[in-house]
This record gives sequence, C-alpha cells and structure tokens, in this order.
Amino acid sequence: MAISTTDSIRYVDCLAINEVPPGKSKLLWVNSWPILIGNDGGQIYALYGLCGHQQLSLEGGQIWRGVVDCPWHHFQYELKTGENLYPKRVYPLQHLPHLCEQVKSLQTFPVRLVNHIIQVGLPTTETRGATIDKTAVLGC
Amino acid sequence: MAKVALQMVEQSGVDVNALVDKLIRAASAEFTTYFYYTILRVNAIGLEGEGLKEIIEDARLEDRNHFEALVPRIYELGGEIPRDIQDFCTMAACPDAYLPNNPRDIKELLTVLVEAERCAIRVYTEICNMTFGKDHRTYELSLAILNEEIEHEAWFSEFLGEGPSGHFRRGHPGESPYTSRFMVVPTNGHGG
Repeated sequence: MAISTTDSIRYVDCLAINEVPPGKSKLLWVNSWPILIGNDGGQIYALYGLCGHQQLSLEGGQIWRGVVDCPWHHFQYELKTGENLYPKRVYPLQHLPHLCEQVKSLQTFPVRLVNHIIQVGLPTTETRGATIDKTAVLGC
Repeated sequence: MAKVALQMVEQSGVDVNALVDKLIRAASAEFTTYFYYTILRVNAIGLEGEGLKEIIEDARLEDRNHFEALVPRIYELGGEIPRDIQDFCTMAACPDAYLPNNPRDIKELLTVLVEAERCAIRVYTEICNMTFGKDHRTYELSLAILNEEIEHEAWFSEFLGEGPSGHFRRGHPGESPYTSRFMVVPTNGHGG
C-alpha cells in the first residue's frame, strides 16, 4: 500500500480505476476508515461510507449526476460535498430535531489518480465519521 | 411454503434471501407511508389543500393495497414480516413521509408526497430489475406496483406544476388498477 503524506492528509492507494465502473460505488475499509469510492461518469469521489441514517454501508449505492443513493433506505448524498439531499429537504427538523442525527453530512475526502490507482487522502488527526452539518436548518 | 415455486426462483439464479429482504423493506415502506399519508391527508385543508386531499387519499389507499399484495409473496418465498412492528417500521425502504414544518404550505406538503413516490419508484425498479426473466410472479407484482407509484408521482408532480401527466382521476379511491388482481380481496372488477 503506497502512502504519501502532506501536512494533514495522507494519500493511500485504494483501488484500480477500472474496479469502479461509472455509476457504481465500492466500500473499502482503509486504516479502519469506511471509505465509499464512487464513479460519476468518470469523476471519482470519496466520502465516509456509512449512511447517517442507520450507519449501514453505502456500498452498491447507485451514482447518478453527482448523487449517491443509499441502497438500504434511499437516503441521498451529494458526492462532492457529502451533504444529505434527501430526506433532509423534506424532514421537519424544526418539529422533530432528533432527525438531525440522520441527515448529517458525510465527510468527504480528496482523491487523486496515480498510475490508474485511486488514492484517497485521509486526515491524519481529525475525528473519524460523519461531520456536523453547520448549514442545516434551524434545530440542527 | 410454495416449495416448487421457491425452487424455481432459486434455480433461476435469484438470491432469494436478498429478494425477500427487499420485499419486506418495500412492504414496510408501504405500511409506514399509509400511516404518514393519513396525517398528510388530514392536514390537506384550505382552498388548495382540499383539492389535494382526494389525491392523497387515492395514493394512501393504493399504498395500503401494495402492502396487502406484497405480504403473501413474502411468505410464498419463505420469508416473514417481523413480529415486532417497531422492527418492521425501522426496515422501511424509504424515509418516513413526515408532516412538513409548515403543513399549511401546500408546496411543502406536495414535496413530501412527490419525494416519497420517487423513492418508491426506485424501490420497485430495483425489484423488477432483480426479478425480470427469473421470478415471474414477483416481477409481475412489482411491475404492477411500480405502475401505480409512477402514476402517484405524476399526480403530485403535476400538482406542483412540473408538467402535465395526462392523468385525470381514479374511478374510486384506492382502485389500484394494476395491483388489485394480486390482492386476496380485489378492490375492483379485476377478478373480484
């Protein structure tokens, strides 16, 4: 496993580019991190690989136009930002604030391609897991 | 259990456990949607809401029909729905269709509805893809439900002004023109 380190990010070899066809996603455990790698028409993204809803794997989630669709309950996340797009936009978070836990954004990771190998940049110090979405509606 | 029917599905290459899991999740989503649509229907009031109420009711009753139609197939395939309703509801294949923050805002209400139907379309498309040419009975049932979910989406989408659907209305609430023939007690003339 090739590793290169910058100040706060360490790039780790994950997959050959042809192992994730367009429209598909794959979950890997990299240094105990669940990382989902998705291919959106040739653009590769990496984000925290467990859905915020029930912490189930996003592996196999369909990728379509910048969005990954959770195969379990169809929660949807923007690949670029990790933001929950659905059901966050319809959940009544003001009245049922406990639902905020389910629709937090997923942490995203930088990706680069080196000799047809997808490398994901993992933080060297930050806390693992889904990040708090500071932009969420009132109550989150 | 329908032994040979199950054998045929297994022999066709379908992962029966995965299929049953999807069917249970789908049934759960129908069951919970029926519950949540009851609340949405109750809150569809006022000049705009009253017009929406009948459409919510059509979709609500047809979603209940979908639950009714799915359950026998789950058991035929050797599965069972959870004995604890809380376990069952947690398995729903789609997010809960909660009453929105402002129930008097018809657009908010409609967005909940249309997104719930869109999720259902994804669910049944997956099951159709999984069973096409292999498990003919589950495929036909899922296709029938998919047809109705697509119409539900079109109704709500049309109400949001996203474009015409060509739909007019059902003959009676909960008609289920595609799914009723799969039900033990059909709701209309399709075999009953």
